Amino acid sequence: MNIFLKEVKSHRKSLIFWCIGVFLMVVSGMSKYEAYSSSGQSMNDLLKDMPKSLAAVLGFNDLDVSKPSGYYGLLFLYLLLMATIHAAMLGATIIAKEERDKTSEFLFVKPVSRNMIITAKLLAAFVNIVTFNLVTYGSSVVLMGQYAKGGDITSDIGMTMAGMFFLQVLFMVLGSAIAAVKKRPKSAASLASAVLLLTYVLSVAIDLSPNIEGLKYLTPFKYFEAKNVMYGGGLDAVFVVISIGLTAAFSIITYVCYQKRDLAV
Amino acid sequence: MNVIEIKNLTKSYGKSRGITDISFTVEEGEIFGFIGPNGAGKSTTIRTLLSLIYPTSGSAMIFGKDCIQFAQEIKREIGYLPSEVFYYDNMKVKDLLNYSASFYKKDCRKRIKELAEIMDLDLNKKIDDLSLGNKKKVGIVQGLLHEPKLIILDEPTSGLDPLMQQKFFDLLEAENKKGATILFSSHILSEVQRLCNRVAIIKEGKIVAVEKISTLQENNYKKFKLQTKSPLPNDYFQQAGTHNLIVNGNVTSFMFRGDLNHIVKKIAELDIANLWIEEPDLEEIFMHYYEKEA
Repeated sequence: MNIFLKEVKSHRKSLIFWCIGVFLMVVSGMSKYEAYSSSGQSMNDLLKDMPKSLAAVLGFNDLDVSKPSGYYGLLFLYLLLMATIHAAMLGATIIAKEERDKTSEFLFVKPVSRNMIITAKLLAAFVNIVTFNLVTYGSSVVLMGQYAKGGDITSDIGMTMAGMFFLQVLFMVLGSAIAAVKKRPKSAASLASAVLLLTYVLSVAIDLSPNIEGLKYLTPFKYFEAKNVMYGGGLDAVFVVISIGLTAAFSIITYVCYQKRDLAV
Repeated sequence: MNVIEIKNLTKSYGKSRGITDISFTVEEGEIFGFIGPNGAGKSTTIRTLLSLIYPTSGSAMIFGKDCIQFAQEIKREIGYLPSEVFYYDNMKVKDLLNYSASFYKKDCRKRIKELAEIMDLDLNKKIDDLSLGNKKKVGIVQGLLHEPKLIILDEPTSGLDPLMQQKFFDLLEAENKKGATILFSSHILSEVQRLCNRVAIIKEGKIVAVEKISTLQENNYKKFKLQTKSPLPNDYFQQAGTHNLIVNGNVTSFMFRGDLNHIVKKIAELDIANLWIEEPDLEEIFMHYYEKEA
């Protein structure tokens, strides 16, 4: 319990900054929508002329961006990127920092097992990502509410946030697994982000060339896409199972490898 | 009873550093010195005892229990001061010590106050703002606040001024009188000599000798140095039991072990200007061990 509280406290400041960041992201995203929609020119016409590759990279596909909900679907991709980067870096850092800051000779000589330390740290990280998710949800609902006249999209937003939550947890334990396996703790966070960006690039590549669509199981960014999740689509059970499976696998790797290895002191 | 029992402990890191086949025991109530040059493997041995790293082969028991299998249980009664102290930034000394105390199921507030007073440590300062010596003091208080039965110190005196060292040694002696066993690693011989009952000498990852300090000192060696009015023949004192014979002009020095009468008779025949007969200090005794190995 003491480790958990200590970790929550020590990540409080960074969490606040991330939350402000995601709030501003929603604000700026939606104000752009306002500019587009008030300019009179239909966004859809503009996008029709856009090369398919550019549209894919920017995340416009199969979304009716002239509607607030469609535009939100576009924005969601960026919110998701932010949330997962936060989760991956947090998962890696929270494990690796004891070795990075050389405090392991303090913490690991205390009468607590390594498993207890990992559990406390992952729980603290979990609290962080849940907070981040709720703040994203809250900002989205409040700000979207101003544009979505009449149409209720709260449940659509809720569904995307549920998908985001699965991926946040997944990337958090991916980060912690990397930190647990790697002997050089300093680079754990950057490696975790590199893996994340790689899977993101793969998801863009799949959008560009439909003949590699089979690879979509390899990139979590394809699991809960806004266009599938919104408008009553809900979360695809297959991907929910895959996410939970991967999360379990990375958690086991985190516990087992960290227990066995020498600490870098 | 043996508080620490190390059996054939080996830890290899690739080619270079590591320890090979280390065995020794520390008995209850002892202050046990662990001495050797930098990089000899002192910290590696200690970190293995604390299961921060795992041995390649061999084992160690603390309080009669395997130090890996029962690590969590054992650590309740261990206080550890690492050679370099690093703490969480942005914490006050008080907060860090309370955090440290929160791991032990006892009320340590009184002890923290006492220790801070003895070590002259300001509890309200931020750890970031402390000097190296003051950080070391935080480490000392942190290591002792739960009144552990086994205190493991890895080069504890670096950064402390002589006055603080004295206070720290007094503190350790008081803890020892109350029943604590102490493992004291150092490369400074005089502090080990001053504090310890027994000592293990480690060199290049291997234990060279385990001796009582008193045995080491009363090893019968005497250090002779004499000044004569005229130079001596180089081999005047050359005989069984003589070591390190150096003749430098009118000054001759050597170490001798054996029947002192032989030497005294020889000296009596000389016309001497000055004479010193001294106990060799540990440094010279250790050099003897080191050289034997080399």
